[in-house]
Formats: sequence, C-alpha cells, structure tokens
Amino acid sequence: MRRTALVIAGALLLTACGGGGGSAADSGKVVFWDTSGPNEHPVFDQLAKDCAGKGGYTVDVQQVSFDQALANYKTAAQGGQGPDVLRSEVAWVAQLAQNGLITDLTDTDLAKDTSDFLDGPLGSTKYNGKTYAVPQVTDTLALLYNKKLLADAGVQPPTSWDELKADAPKLGGPKAIFLNNDAYYALPFIYGAGGDLLDVANKKIVVNSAQNVQALETAKGLLDAKAATTALDQANSYNNMKAAFSAGQVAMEIDGPWTVVDLLKGDAFKDPANLGVALLPGKDSGPVGGHDYVVRQGTKAKTSAQKFIQCMSSTESQVTVSKKLGLLPTRKSAYDSPDVKSQPTVAAFEPAIKQTHPRPWVPAGAQLFDQLKIDYAYVLSGQKDAKTALDEVAKAYKDQVVPDYTVG
Amino acid sequence: MRRSLERHWYAYAMVAPVVVVLAVLVLYPLVQGIWFTLTDINESTIANPVLDRPASYSFVGLRNYLNVLSGDSSFGSFWSTLLRTIIWTASCVVLTYGVGLGLALLLNRPMRARALYRVLLILPWAVPVFISAFAWKFMFNSQFGVINQLLGAVGLGQPVWLGQTDLALVAVVIVNVWVGVPFMMLALLGGLQSIPADLYEAAEVDGATPWQRFRDITLPGLRSVSSTVVLLGIIWTFNMFPVIYLVTGPAANPNTRILVTYAFERFFSGASRDYAVASTYGVLILSVLLVFATFYRRALRRQEAFA
Repeated sequence: MRRTALVIAGALLLTACGGGGGSAADSGKVVFWDTSGPNEHPVFDQLAKDCAGKGGYTVDVQQVSFDQALANYKTAAQGGQGPDVLRSEVAWVAQLAQNGLITDLTDTDLAKDTSDFLDGPLGSTKYNGKTYAVPQVTDTLALLYNKKLLADAGVQPPTSWDELKADAPKLGGPKAIFLNNDAYYALPFIYGAGGDLLDVANKKIVVNSAQNVQALETAKGLLDAKAATTALDQANSYNNMKAAFSAGQVAMEIDGPWTVVDLLKGDAFKDPANLGVALLPGKDSGPVGGHDYVVRQGTKAKTSAQKFIQCMSSTESQVTVSKKLGLLPTRKSAYDSPDVKSQPTVAAFEPAIKQTHPRPWVPAGAQLFDQLKIDYAYVLSGQKDAKTALDEVAKAYKDQVVPDYTVG
Repeated sequence: MRRSLERHWYAYAMVAPVVVVLAVLVLYPLVQGIWFTLTDINESTIANPVLDRPASYSFVGLRNYLNVLSGDSSFGSFWSTLLRTIIWTASCVVLTYGVGLGLALLLNRPMRARALYRVLLILPWAVPVFISAFAWKFMFNSQFGVINQLLGAVGLGQPVWLGQTDLALVAVVIVNVWVGVPFMMLALLGGLQSIPADLYEAAEVDGATPWQRFRDITLPGLRSVSSTVVLLGIIWTFNMFPVIYLVTGPAANPNTRILVTYAFERFFSGASRDYAVASTYGVLILSVLLVFATFYRRALRRQEAFA
C-alpha cells in the first residue's frame, strides 16, 4: 500500500510540475530513448549524433532496456516528463496513441510521403485513421540454422514440423531445435496452423480456437518426440536459446534479424557463412515485428524532434543501419542500395519479411502476450494441456484486455 | 473553545508542521489510494495534464473488492496468492531467524578471528539486493547455472529451479534468507551481548545443562529483541518485492506471485495498468498487516504479563 500510495503521490507531484508547455518555442534539444541492445546501440547513437550535427539541434541518446521501456515511458509521459522521441515497438503505438501519450503526426511532413514504406510496418503507425509514428526497422521471425551441423547430418532445413520430427534423430534428437517458451515465439506455430489471437473485424477472441490448440500441441509434440529442447525457466529462456545455438549445441532456433550480431560472436559462427536463415515451417507464419519512432505528447522540441525522425528514418540512415547491423529497412528504396543487397542478413531475411502474418494494430496489441506467455510455458512443461491453457488465456483477454470482445 | 485557543495557541503552532507533513505525505496519498479502489481508474481514464484531458473514471462501488475477493484468476487468484504470501513470509522469517540465531550464538563465544567472521557474515547485507538477486538468478539457471552443474557433478538430478513450479518459490526463499540473515544475526548478537554473564555463571554453578541455560537464560533474555525483529521481518518479507521480481523476472512467474508483486504487475507491467485493482490490492495488504500487527502486539503483551 505504501508503495502504491507513494507512486500515486509521486505521479501527482510530477503532474503538478509538468503542466504548461504546449506551443512554446522549440528547445532545440532532443532526448531520444533508444531501446536497442548493447550491440546495436552504438550504431544508433552515432547516427543520432550525426543527424543532430547536420540539423542544428542537440540530441541526448539514452539507452533504455527494452523490457522496461514501455512502463517507464508511460509513467514519465503521463506526468509530462520523458524523452522527446521514443523507439517504440510496433505493438505499442496504438496503445500509446489511445492514451494520449504520443503526438499525432498526421499534419506534419513525417506523414506526407509514406509511399516508400513497406505496408507491414506502415500499418503499425496508424491508429483511428491518424498517423502517430514513423517506421524505423522491421523484422520477423525465421528459422536460423547451423549450416555445418545440418550438412553433416545430411538434412535440409525443414519445411514442415513433421519433417523436422523425422530429421531430428540425425541431428541428435533434442539437439535439433531450441524452442523459446515465450509468447512471441508461439506465434509461428499459431499463424502456421491458420490460427490467430483476435479477430478484430468481428470483435472476437479466437485465442482458444481448435487451430491454436493444435498449434501448441505441435510445439509440445516436438518436445515429446525428442526433436526439440527448451529452457523451462522463463527468465533465462531466451538467453539460454541464444547461448546454446551460438555455441553449436543445437542445430536450429527461431529468432529474428536483431540477434544476428550477437550470434556471430559465438564459437559456432566464427565463419559468418555458417549461419543459415530459412523460412519458418507453415504458410505465412512469421509475425510482423519491428520498431517505430514516436514523439511524446507535450514535447518541448517538436520541430527538432520531427527533423530528427526525418533524418533517422531517411533512406541513407536506414542503409547505414542495415550495412552495419543487418537490420531490415522499412523503406523500399533502401533495398535498392547495393550495400543493403549485399548485406548477408538482410538478403537472408528478405524472403521471410515478404511472408509475414499481419498483427492486429489495436491498443491491446501489446498486452496480448502477458497471459499467453504464462500458459504457453505451462503447455511446454507439460503442466497443462493446450485446450485448458488457451481457455485460460481467452478468459484473461475477456476480463482484462478486450472486455468488449466476445469469446468465440 | 476560544479561550483554549488563546491559551494554547503556542502548542498548536508547534504541532502544526508535523500535522501538515503527515497530512501531505501519509494521509492524502492514503485517502486517494482508498478512493481509487472505489473507481474504475486506469491508464485511459486518469487525468492527462499534458493533453488537458480531464479524468473520466467513475465510481463503481465495491466492484473491485468483489472481483478481487472472488479469487478469480483474472484478478490474481487472491486467496491462493494470499496463502502463498503467508507461506513465503513464514518460511523466510522462520529460516532467517533460525539461521541468524545460530550464527549469533557461534559469534558470541570467544574465538580467534571473530571480527573477520563477523565481517564475512555481514557481507550479504552490504551487497545491494539487485546484485545478489541477479547473481542468484545466474546460479539458478537450469542449464548453465553453477548450482545445477554442482548437482550434476555429484550425480544428482538437475531440477528447473525457476520454472513455473513451486520449486521457484523454494528458490526465492533461499535467496531471501541469504539476503536477510545478516540483519537477524546482528540484531540477535546485540541482544546476546546484553545478557549479563553472571547469570550464566550462576546457572553453571547450580549445575544447569547447556540446553537449560539456553532455554532459561538466553531465550528470555532475547525476548524483546526477538519480538521486534520478528515483527519487522514479517512486515518486510510480506512486502518483499525486489527479490521475487528480480530473480523470477518481469515475466511474472505465477508460482512466485505474492500480493505485492501482483499489485505491481497490475499497476505497471501488467495487461491494462489497472490502477483501481492495484490500489485494491494495496488496501487489502494494508488491512492484512494491520490485523496481524494488532494480534501480534496483543499476544506479546499477554506473554509479558505471564513472564
């Protein structure tokens, strides 16, 4: 109670100080919250400083842990504090827009020429017909594999989960693939089986559909058939997956382009050519991910923030980021650059990005994973069967996330 | 009334600052928190001063309390979470008290390099909690952690410590005991040293066994220290947030969820930033602790009367 009360008191104090602002003159100082990882951050930091130098304003780049960024941003922005520009995950945009925490950019230059952006990431920038964000990078999940291990075993990257099951004994059984027991990593199974979390058009919760039950049973089936391994401790799961894959202990994992820089530091990928990228089994089974730039509501550096985003999301900047980190540009024109074309990660992920499953860009989009994460872990550890677990998720969606939807 | 004001204005003026500070720092947030539990306030209905958007939450009566007290899983399964909180608190306090008392007894006897042992045993307390928590999280890693490697080396099973099972609760209890023992030890050591040595001498002369000396001199001598540290320990552990949050991760493991971590989940990281439900949890935690503290003090007073 005391904690809660203090936070409320603190929030009130912040609100008291944070009023005013509005249409005051531009402060010329942009604070940018960068949520990228330690390997990616230096590149964005340098890019931001170059942009500021050219644009005649100053920029203060602060690295914020991705896990904490949304909560911290909301708390700060609610009280009129926080960064001027945030690197927001695509699923956060609608939620922040609904709560009035980011600026409507519809009438600015940023929303004028959007034809160059890819449709998937562009969809995430809109809420209620208005533009609130500018795409930074896009990504999706793909099947990453160790070329040498697969070649030694004489198998091709699987095109279906059954194929993987059949090939697994040659790859050392459970060493074939590492499954992360996190909700986002359940999406390929769900989308691949023709399922979805919400049916936005009909306002229905479809997370406990027959397809999804089958999808989670497929994932669990891989573990049962000793064709996959997983870390059951949620808090360490993702890092254990990366560690095992980059050390050559497992042959495959499901992951995104952001991880490649880290993986190449591992023993198994001293030769970068050993890292293979294949499409995920199932049709259109990769979720659309990525990040957008958003401007905080009530920023004192409105003009500078727009200039900053314009510069950061330009074709030239995106080419730089792709060249150095292998992240996927959101501008079509960036893919024409020879530097991007020759970038191995981008070239490898390009087919995957063309076969993604659209995600619902609704305010609740970012909240759909909280309960799914818990129940997916229960399914993979065998503590609950898929149907029971998904019914629980559906109930949580109805009670907490989208109360105006029907469970169908 | 008028006369009393004239006569005592000086006294009123003297207490006024304290009253104002208490009202601003304690009463106002408390009343506000209680008011929130009777509304449907959340992120989208709270006032937004930056946007000049007025608050749009409304009074919903006791709905939040009914939702929470129904024990529904969508509102944190209150009763099983309360039970888990009690198990967590009891096992942590019993273990820290027991281990702390044992260590204090060891340190209270003359021995070589006593100062060194004392420093070493206080070390866990000097390390910031988040560093301890992260260190333990690495050690508990089921695949790469040192604990499971040791267990594997001696041929024992390698359990998944931080998975979604009750073993995770055991793991966080271990971490919390490690963090909490130095304080207990230090407080009890202080208590031990205040017991006059001649009592022990007299008992020895009368032929009392070590166990009798412990039971009839040490324990009664420690009573006042013990009752304070146990009460403090219970309140702290009941609301111990960082250990659980940092060891099992913001992913919110339902098997280590206690009342205060769930309130935090709803307030900050959870699905809907539901300030109303979080405040409801806050008020319920406060009530549980108030009831407990009342009974505890009454029991102590009765004990003292008998002693």
